[in-house]
Amino acid sequence: MVKWFRNIMSKLGKNAGVSLIIILAALMLEAISGVQYYYTKNLLKKEQERTMDGELSRKVILVKSMLNTTENVLNSHREEIRHFLPQPDSILVVAKAIMEANRYFEGVGVAYVPNYFKNRGRLCEPWPFRSGDSIVSIVVGDEHNHDYTQFDFYKVPSERGTSCWCPPYLDDTERKSYITTYSIPIVGENNKLVGVAGVDLSLNWLGDTLNNRSIHPSSFSMLLAENGDIISAPGPTSARYADVQQVVRLINDSAVSRSLSSNGRVKVIEFTSDQDKRKAYIHYTFMKGEPRWQLAVVCYDDELFADIYKLRQRMFWLMFLGLALLGYIVYRFLKNNMRLYKAEVEKEKIDGELRVAQTIQSEMLPKEVAERLSHGQMKVKGLLNPAKEVGGDLYDYFVRDEKLFFCIGDVSGKGVPSALVMAVVHSLFRSVAAHESNPARIMQAINETSCHGNETNMFVTFFVGVLDLPTGKLRYCNAGHDTPLFITDKATELPVEPHFPLGLFADFKYETQELLLAPGTIFLLYTDGLTEAMNPRHEQFGLARVKEIADNLKEKTPSTILATLETAVHEFVSGAEQSDDLTLLAVQFTPSTAPVVLRKELTVVNDVAMVSKMNDFVKGVCGELQMGKSETSGMILAIEEAVVNVMNYAYDEGVSGDVSVVAEATSDLLKFVITDTGRPFAPTDAPDVDTTLSAEDRKIGGLGIFLVRQLMDTINYERIDGKNVLTLKKKLGSAEGPSHA
Amino acid sequence: MKTTIKELESKLLVTLEGELDTAAAAEVESQLQPLNDNEDKDIVFDCERLEYIASSGLRILLSILKKAKSHGHTVTMKGMNDDIKNVFKMTGFINLFNFE
Repeated sequence: MVKWFRNIMSKLGKNAGVSLIIILAALMLEAISGVQYYYTKNLLKKEQERTMDGELSRKVILVKSMLNTTENVLNSHREEIRHFLPQPDSILVVAKAIMEANRYFEGVGVAYVPNYFKNRGRLCEPWPFRSGDSIVSIVVGDEHNHDYTQFDFYKVPSERGTSCWCPPYLDDTERKSYITTYSIPIVGENNKLVGVAGVDLSLNWLGDTLNNRSIHPSSFSMLLAENGDIISAPGPTSARYADVQQVVRLINDSAVSRSLSSNGRVKVIEFTSDQDKRKAYIHYTFMKGEPRWQLAVVCYDDELFADIYKLRQRMFWLMFLGLALLGYIVYRFLKNNMRLYKAEVEKEKIDGELRVAQTIQSEMLPKEVAERLSHGQMKVKGLLNPAKEVGGDLYDYFVRDEKLFFCIGDVSGKGVPSALVMAVVHSLFRSVAAHESNPARIMQAINETSCHGNETNMFVTFFVGVLDLPTGKLRYCNAGHDTPLFITDKATELPVEPHFPLGLFADFKYETQELLLAPGTIFLLYTDGLTEAMNPRHEQFGLARVKEIADNLKEKTPSTILATLETAVHEFVSGAEQSDDLTLLAVQFTPSTAPVVLRKELTVVNDVAMVSKMNDFVKGVCGELQMGKSETSGMILAIEEAVVNVMNYAYDEGVSGDVSVVAEATSDLLKFVITDTGRPFAPTDAPDVDTTLSAEDRKIGGLGIFLVRQLMDTINYERIDGKNVLTLKKKLGSAEGPSHA
Repeated sequence: MKTTIKELESKLLVTLEGELDTAAAAEVESQLQPLNDNEDKDIVFDCERLEYIASSGLRILLSILKKAKSHGHTVTMKGMNDDIKNVFKMTGFINLFNFE
């Protein structure tokens, strides 16, 4: 049992608790219905017993009334009979008249005492009887071989002088049917018995009358004589005929009931039919007065309680339906709950993932290292407040070869899809700008890649700027982004070419624009989250406000501008929901103004034989700056490699030209500017050397510029006025040697 | 810049003296040409008096190493000063040659 229960429970799994509740509810309902059924049945049983007793009384009254009627009819004709006693033929007429008046009398007549008429022999009984629909009027005589003096109906009145209902007997006339006879003694003038007058009642008729209106289809009634003989009962044609004998036997066997029944109380016997095992009840009683007959009513349990059985069945189905409905409702409820729970879990998961995505996205934003790398030649500050967890805005900046690469962009749409595109564009910018310094070419490369397979037609407005730190030259390219401002005393909009945003036309040609920045100039980039920030009255922040704030700012630095703008926007929207990402990027050009402590210059022809001279020159510079032996050796090597590189690649074989080296030092920085007039050649574009390869895989060349990068702090290439200008810088005064990882 | 090649029993001992800059590279390369023809001996460079090396010098050493390795021989650097060793470190050459 326990195992079975456990099995069920394990199958029900997580819903075991709920299923248990349903099962308990079902058991409780069943118990309630069981108790209700038990009490209802008891109640009904009592009610049915009363009904049966009532039925019994009704039948008793019916029988009594029939018998009384019979008695009354006969008694009322007693005088008439006496009057016609001398003429048996007249008696026939009277009797026939009575029968015609009472259609259920089988026969009426007078049985004279033997030898009453001298001329008629011993027996004389004028007694008409029914035969079918007609009445046969005969006077029974000796020749009929019917000695009525032997019958009870004659013997009791004649011997006791009282009326009598004789026990049923077989009528020996040609009818041969069971009858009972009510008979009274008739006395002559001298009070001497003359004969017995009687009325025959057919037992069949009695039985039919008794059973003519039964309370249930199978129930029946019986009349039994005092001695237990059947007076009337359903005949062989009845469906319950087989039970009749059983009932008679039960009543007759019940000695107790017989003794008790004398006081007229109703007795009840419960029995099971031998015929078909139906449970049944016998209610029977003795009728009061004469004749002392017993009346029994038999009812069958299934008919008595048919209603309650039907009720029970209906209750069962109703309960079953109710439980099924309850189960279904609970199931739906649980399923719904599970769905909600799952959705909740899913949402939490997504929220968690979004938080991670947010962290990743904010990690993608550049850190402040760029300022350090630029030796304080510029200040830069960015800000990104996404409207949702993740946004489609981006900004980035980094310094490579003394150039500040920066960008700002706004991906169409919001949320995760925009964030994905933003991440792609961001990494494209990083990878392209790692080896490409021209903004238009950077823009073109990103555009081609982002157009490829852009099924969703998302686009990106993008601005790329490259600020050359030694010269202050800004090259930029704008792809449909909000026009940046450059702020000197006043904020001015940067002139930009009307280019398409990225991601729309793969073959679009972008152009680079140039601007020379004056020291201190701030370059402000923003997304429409700034200008289109909306207050509760649906007014936009607008570019005019931005300019005004920039103009009125006393101390103009990227940090102050961003902080002021952010505060202003927050105050402006005053609690309205942020509708778009707010992204700001400010770049300030702050070239070094430290005094030059040393300046030396050497110009040589493009011949490697001049290298030794160049090395002596560098050695001299380092000596004046009191640099250590190792550092000096590093400088010599770096400048030799840079110069040899120019000699080898900027000039074609056999073409002669100059290479000039200017050494310039401030208190903390040594700068070499190598200039040549050869063809445009950017050594900074050379790929890095993989130092982890084996001897077999190592290439022979490419080490020169690699060594320069290793030995110097920065390397910067610019093509200025038809000349290649390579600027190498080394910070002075650091105890550490050249950085080489 | 001066170079000498000494053939010992089981190895070739090469002495490098002075500054191996780009200007000297071409001459050094031709002086060390015999090493490229060597097929049966390990090579040892004596760098005790080598004062400077540029990438052109490194290239010569790398090509000698490649040749020697193809014949199953080793190239060993001996007595190298720290500045030059630093250059070897920066370029990853420190992992290619043997050092004593």
